[in-house]
Amino acid sequence: MVPAAASEAQRLEYNRDVRPILFDACVSCHGPDSASRKADLRLDQRAAAMEMAAIVPGDPDSSEMIRRILSTDEAETMPPPATKKVLTDRQKQTLIRWIEEGAEYQPHWSLIAPRLVEPPAVKDETWVRNVIDRFILARLEAAGLEPADEADRGVLARRVCLDLTGLPPTPEQLDAFLSDDTAGAYERYVDALLASPQWGEHRGRYWLDAARYADTHGIHFDNYREMWTYRDWVIKAFNRNMPFDQFTIENLAGDLLPGATLDQRIASGFNRCNITTNEGGAIDEEYAVLYTRDRTETTAQVWMGLTAGCGVCHDHKFDSFSQREFYALSAFFNNTTQKAMDGNVKDTPPVISVPQEGDLARRLQLDALIEEAEQAVEERRRAARGDFDRWVAAASASELDAWMPSSGLQLHAPLNDGGSVIAYTVAGERREAPLASTVQWRPGKASPQAAYLNQGSVLDVADAGDFGPEQPYSVAAWVKLPANDSSGSIVARMDEAHGFRGWDLWVEGRRVGGHLIHKWPENAIKVVTQNQLPADQWIHVALVYDGTKKAAGLKVYVNGTPQPTNVSADSLTADTRTSVPLKIGQRHASSLLSGVSVEGVRLFARALDDREAATLGTAALGQAVLALPAEQRSPADLDVLFAWWFINLDELSRPLIAERDSLLRERNDIDARATIAHVMQERPEPPKAFVLHRGEYNKRGEEVTPDTPAMLPPFPPELPRNRLGLAQWLVRPEHPLTARVAVNRFWQEVFGQGLVRTAGDFGVSGELPSHPELLDWLAIEFRESGWDVKRLFKLMVTSAAYRQAAVVEAEKLAKDPENRLLSRGPRFRMDAEMVRDYALAASGLLSRKIGGPSVKPYQPPGVWEAVAMIGSNTRDYRQDAGESLYRRSMYTFWKRSAPPASMEVFNAPSREHCVMVRERTNTPLQALVTLNDPQFVEAARHLAQRAIRESGAEFDDRLRFVAKRLLARELSDEEQAIVRDSYDKLRRHYDIAAEDAVRLVDVGESEADATLSAAELAAWTMVVNELMNLDEVLNK
Amino acid sequence: MSLISELRQQVTRRYFFAAGSHVLGTAALGALAKDGLAASAHQFVGRTHVAPKARHVIYLHMVGGPPQMDMYDYKPVMQQWYDKDLPESVRMGQRLTTMTSGQARFPIAPSKYRFERCGQSGMWVCELLPWMKKMVDDVAFVRSMQTDAINHEPAISFIQTGNQITGRPCLGAWASYGLGSLNEDLPTFVVMVAKPSNTEQVQAISARLWSSGYLPGEHAGVSFRTAGDPILYINDPPGTPREVRRTTLDGLRALNELTYRKLGDPQTHTRIQQYELAFRMQASVPELADLSSEPASTYALYGDDAGSPGTFANTALLARRLVERGVRFVQIYHNNWDTHSNVAGRLPDQCRDVDQACYGLIQDLKQRGLLDSTLVIWGGEFGRTVYSQGGLSPQNYGRDHHPRCFTMWMAGGGTKAGTIYGETDEFSYNVVKDPVPIRDFHATVLHLLGFDHERFTFKHQGLDQRLTGVLPTRIVSELLA
Repeated sequence: MVPAAASEAQRLEYNRDVRPILFDACVSCHGPDSASRKADLRLDQRAAAMEMAAIVPGDPDSSEMIRRILSTDEAETMPPPATKKVLTDRQKQTLIRWIEEGAEYQPHWSLIAPRLVEPPAVKDETWVRNVIDRFILARLEAAGLEPADEADRGVLARRVCLDLTGLPPTPEQLDAFLSDDTAGAYERYVDALLASPQWGEHRGRYWLDAARYADTHGIHFDNYREMWTYRDWVIKAFNRNMPFDQFTIENLAGDLLPGATLDQRIASGFNRCNITTNEGGAIDEEYAVLYTRDRTETTAQVWMGLTAGCGVCHDHKFDSFSQREFYALSAFFNNTTQKAMDGNVKDTPPVISVPQEGDLARRLQLDALIEEAEQAVEERRRAARGDFDRWVAAASASELDAWMPSSGLQLHAPLNDGGSVIAYTVAGERREAPLASTVQWRPGKASPQAAYLNQGSVLDVADAGDFGPEQPYSVAAWVKLPANDSSGSIVARMDEAHGFRGWDLWVEGRRVGGHLIHKWPENAIKVVTQNQLPADQWIHVALVYDGTKKAAGLKVYVNGTPQPTNVSADSLTADTRTSVPLKIGQRHASSLLSGVSVEGVRLFARALDDREAATLGTAALGQAVLALPAEQRSPADLDVLFAWWFINLDELSRPLIAERDSLLRERNDIDARATIAHVMQERPEPPKAFVLHRGEYNKRGEEVTPDTPAMLPPFPPELPRNRLGLAQWLVRPEHPLTARVAVNRFWQEVFGQGLVRTAGDFGVSGELPSHPELLDWLAIEFRESGWDVKRLFKLMVTSAAYRQAAVVEAEKLAKDPENRLLSRGPRFRMDAEMVRDYALAASGLLSRKIGGPSVKPYQPPGVWEAVAMIGSNTRDYRQDAGESLYRRSMYTFWKRSAPPASMEVFNAPSREHCVMVRERTNTPLQALVTLNDPQFVEAARHLAQRAIRESGAEFDDRLRFVAKRLLARELSDEEQAIVRDSYDKLRRHYDIAAEDAVRLVDVGESEADATLSAAELAAWTMVVNELMNLDEVLNK
Repeated sequence: MSLISELRQQVTRRYFFAAGSHVLGTAALGALAKDGLAASAHQFVGRTHVAPKARHVIYLHMVGGPPQMDMYDYKPVMQQWYDKDLPESVRMGQRLTTMTSGQARFPIAPSKYRFERCGQSGMWVCELLPWMKKMVDDVAFVRSMQTDAINHEPAISFIQTGNQITGRPCLGAWASYGLGSLNEDLPTFVVMVAKPSNTEQVQAISARLWSSGYLPGEHAGVSFRTAGDPILYINDPPGTPREVRRTTLDGLRALNELTYRKLGDPQTHTRIQQYELAFRMQASVPELADLSSEPASTYALYGDDAGSPGTFANTALLARRLVERGVRFVQIYHNNWDTHSNVAGRLPDQCRDVDQACYGLIQDLKQRGLLDSTLVIWGGEFGRTVYSQGGLSPQNYGRDHHPRCFTMWMAGGGTKAGTIYGETDEFSYNVVKDPVPIRDFHATVLHLLGFDHERFTFKHQGLDQRLTGVLPTRIVSELLA
């Protein structure tokens, strides 16, 4: 459906009449893509076509293009027969006439800034309610169609309530509107809906598709991501009616605004909604490139309706958008401090803490107080060096003995021998073992030599570490890890052949932790640090287990500091003892360390306390330093020892440190209560990117700096070349796309399809606007109004076009089959979230709580488990209880690798990529959801119960109660008779089959009213179930 | 209705009339003739380019990447290379995953398993696959598969959708789009996830793998679950026997007809039909999932595990039942093939899970005359390295991901039984003869389904998108019967 073609008398217009022909038949070989261009000929540019004499303006006979399209010679004719593309005679005539008329080109329509045209005159002035209607009616009149009558007030009340809040009107809302017959009643109804907090939820829900919002990372483990503060921000922004230009800037660059507020930084989470990975073995650069690409494509599509993705591999086939321009645009997004691997954690940096409302003021104070306290400590630190030097000159190694825990020391292997024999002690008894061939000596930390392990253990000890699950123990060592993501056991007593029974001190992907296993993975504990350890540096690690059989009882210390950890198994109940020996450097048969240096292994048959664990490594180092003659003590080691002495032995620093630590603890407590927001953060250096051959991360070509495509208005010199500048450029008045794309998307939300139906593609392969002048008028109106979103919606929903009844007449079905001309009111199946929210709202079960963390309502068992990895923290779906079962669907937890099951059936996207147009299918699987999902059955029962309790005793009263809530109208006699018939049959069944009735009304967590007759309630439940599945209910 | 859907519909009609009523139930044909608009809910091509050999596909995907040299790609010379370093001349600096790229050396781990030469074809098969040994002459082996991806997520996406980046339609969705349904009462494209008996390192999979991508949503795979409802929400609520459901659907239908009379929206009629379809599906799915009618001989063939819900053997048996009832494409995932370590502790379990079940499936299809029209595909997303990851002993070793060669096999559906195609070097590291890149594999499968991969396209973002992408692609004619 495109605008009417030129009549014979009218001059041809390139965009309307010619361009579609050229682009369909010619331009894939004679267009912008330099790689696939044939004969070096471009037909999409006038100069190029003229230069090759393919087109001679005014002279079709001399134009090679015309000769070739008319040729009957198979070798010459265009398009070549092999392409299977054929020009009709009419198309050929159009091309000839266009050349006759001078072959004038136009830029692609969407690249020409919107022009304000006089709204057209119409015959029936009385129909027009606002300017929108002039554009609509003029087209209808031209097509010989009449608009439909205005919809019934009840229908309209329901429609507009759904469009502005996503919910059906409550009976109170409905009655208030229907009983108000004064002028302006509809406008007042609309204003009230625009002012309701549900407005922001509903608009935000659409935005989340564009933002590809979800609650998990998306790839591989697909673990939880704490992202919902961004969702809350979106809702608030719409409810405050934030101007769309400001909304744009805060989404794309809130973090870069001068003096960015907490909210503005949260807004920058838009660019943190993309999918990420932490797959073992993944190559950082490969994913860093993918993230930048996704951000570029998403921004281009959401704000400009450009399908930039084509530019990843090649020049865009149809749009003047080269590969180089794609990468120049991507450079704006290629400067983040975010690491490629998400760490499988919920708070992948950069993140900010978002304190609870009541903590906000104190939290702001604390930073300054901590800085002061820190300064006091630092002052003392500077002054203390002399005291330390005097202490160190006099001290001997034995002075630190008190700091070296010896109680419970079961195994001590210094691994610093440097010869062909390894000495160690077990329970204080000295032993020796020969050096294994896989072990080398390399420079150590606390000693000149340390064991360098390469695919083989350094020590096997049969009588150490034989621990059951209730035995507290601690194991510590100095380690130096290579720069790869390999995994292995530093110390282990573990038997792989018997379900991995045993324990270990474990490293994977340079994260350190441990296992305690009865049988892997179902009866085990596994804990590893969230943060990656640095490569090629000595680090002291300690693992302390308290014997509680809980993951919380397994603590990891790195350089004396307790670490935040990820728990991927916490189900230990049975024995962990095994007969295989303890090994340093591997498990019994596998998980061999490769390229790791190890020194100073200590195993205690008790849990070290915090202080012991914190000082163990440094104290050992200190002993080593003090044992050396003064002149051999290295300055670096003395610095480490000083740091330790300052904290542990310096009397003057103690109160200062205690004061600072207390403030730090307070801040930590506030932050622990706080939620977090994923934000954007720029690196200090100027952004850049590389052109990548065929989009492959490791095939770098030319280096490019941030720039916008040449087909669009130039990037003003006064704007910064970063995301902030890009966002500001997008909302400049001369930008031809941003306002058009935005109003088109809003139009789509209300009318079911955009004026440009390909809402995400305003390029030449997208569809043309059905009402180009209206689109331009709306875009300018929107921009000039200060990008006022509520005003735009009010304009749309108060138009006569919107208020039409959705009656499809035969003539209209023939002339306007898809309602592109708006010859009738909008009517289409609601989106997944609305279908569910509608049932909850109509039944009275819906919670109207706004915002907060995602919830887990009813979902059949096994949906997550079927796809998730063992160890993923979103593997087990733990259904919520109470209010969380009845929240609006936009709060349902969105796991990307298994989206909410009942919503996916209704075309909800996976949220892996930006979606601008949802599909709208009509399938049997959808019927199964609304018929059988407990959520819907429970809602039906709840509404049935209310009808029985709250309306009269008569069938008619009850049915009226239900119909008002489900349909916002009364049923006709004919309809009522059909329902009555259903009810009678159902009632007969449940009167006889009493058990069926009991089982049916038991569905759902909320209790059925036990005082009601189960048979009656069951029959009514199925009646409401029938009505909830009406086409009229499922459609807006 | 748009021009495009009108065209599609015409094509659909041609297809019906050419192929006869067995293609789709006569009821549906009648509905189509009576109410063309409602039938436009289905968007599929329906007309093939070449004579199709396979009408169904059962694709057994081994998630994680099976070690080809421990199962099918026999390399006896490697025994002499135990614990020696992989020569740089073989690796030639190719990229490795970051799990082994920092490894100090790359010691070769020869397969610890015995191989035997089997059948007329003389295919070498390892001792863990005794059932495969009996049927090598039913199967076409490709030992020279190659992929571009080195980690699971992009690699699975690549072999399923032809693209390492997610979001494109998978092979099953393409088959559904191309061929349409043979049984309206069941989904066209069904997905099952089998549980491995050994769960040491189960890999992630994702619903995105069976999405329809840019194809119409109806071509997405439908999960067929082996626990709970076979298809989500297929069962009526407790306390609602079939006649109760029928009562409500009769009322619903009558009310919806009134809505249609009032508003005239063709979608209302489509919805009425979808509800009737749902009702019929509710009958056909439980019948399909109910294995009680299977005789003892079935379990003798597939193994006793076939009776335990969720096992690979169980899904293989269900796959046969699905195909028998007209489902076009059955995708089964079997997990835990990612043997970075402990090959000895895991591979025997993995092989035991699938070996007899694959044998049973193929023999069963053959006995029922379905093998000729059903293409069975077995394979993972990549192979594994000949060098050991982590510790190496003669008894045990680990293997990292290896994209440069791996083994897949196909049977039935127009493939040439008894074929052994492609060769790798003595390290099972590089392909030395007849490489089969994934796009060639895809083109070959589409060919068997009757489609020219270059003409089997879908317009998206202005381009004619296709499964095989833009690089030169070849149908592996040596695999065709």
